[in-house]
Amino acid sequence: MKIVIANGMHAADYVIGIYKNHKKHQIILINDNKESAKYLADKNNIPVCYGHPNKKEVLEQAKIRDCDIFMALGYKDADNFAACLLAKKAFGARKTICTVSNPKNVTLFRDLGIDSVISSTALLADSLIAESSLEDFIKQVSIEDNSIVMVELVVKDTYHISRRRIMDIDFPKTGTISCIYRKPHAIIPNGQTVILPKDKLVIVTTPEEKDSIIKFIQTAE
Amino acid sequence: MKKPTGISLKNKTLVVGCGQLGATIANKFSKEGKNLLVVDESEKSFEQLSEDFSGYKIVGECTDLEILEQAFIKTCKEVVIVTGDDSINVLVATICKKLYNVPNVYVRLSDPDNEILLKGLGVKVIFPLELSFDKFNLMRGGK
Repeated sequence: MKIVIANGMHAADYVIGIYKNHKKHQIILINDNKESAKYLADKNNIPVCYGHPNKKEVLEQAKIRDCDIFMALGYKDADNFAACLLAKKAFGARKTICTVSNPKNVTLFRDLGIDSVISSTALLADSLIAESSLEDFIKQVSIEDNSIVMVELVVKDTYHISRRRIMDIDFPKTGTISCIYRKPHAIIPNGQTVILPKDKLVIVTTPEEKDSIIKFIQTAE
Repeated sequence: MKKPTGISLKNKTLVVGCGQLGATIANKFSKEGKNLLVVDESEKSFEQLSEDFSGYKIVGECTDLEILEQAFIKTCKEVVIVTGDDSINVLVATICKKLYNVPNVYVRLSDPDNEILLKGLGVKVIFPLELSFDKFNLMRGGK
């Protein structure tokens, strides 16, 4: 894959670390900050194209045409937006990703055509919400930009689904039990599978249906 | 910032950015009696507006949808985007067209290469440098 990382210093360094040992990936670095450019080049032994990623001539010089991923990690949201747009419209970038400082821009930028938008503040908020549910032995992970959630939940003896076959439970159609973790095994369940106390259920659902599914499971006998 | 009250809901012009160009445009429009609002993140920038300026001033980030809605973007007939930052201008223009379908959007860009970012949106782009050159060329009798 051809991966372009525009701007950012520590975030860029972290992402480079993920990709650089895979020979199948070509990494292109662009940075408009001299210090960051030098730091990234020295540390990772990869040449950095010095210049503003919002400038057409800089992207041309960096040879980003037809890249698979273009990510803009700068601190200014509007610049990240413009850089992603330029990469997509003028250079055919297949997927654009950017970070934003203002969490309100996550939805906005997505609505305006950026494929994936990441806000550390929004992630922190999501994580706080998930943590607050831990008391009820529930964890959750959001995937595909929050359109899908995976909920992890431990079955208590008092739940009405406990000691029953899945086929005998009128489980809501809006969610699926994808996996059951019963120490030390992971079970891919079918209708015959009996849910036992202390089973850890992994349920795939949508954010809208999540609460009603949790409520359904936690209903007492 | 409170929503401006007592303003007609139709045929409004919104000027985004009250620098030298924005203030000049806003002052001219105000003299023409247009139903006008100006947005800028700095209250100080409104000092460039003339004393008899009759429009509404809104302080706030022009890429914030709440601020734009306070400025009645939903019912604007035209938006003139003239901040000094091409990235912000591109973002606001995209918001105006894609989210609010504003009929007439004019955008100032410093870098002509950035025009491609607005391609297909149906906005009209102003390049101050080119306008200055054209005027200069006319003054010296060129085409």
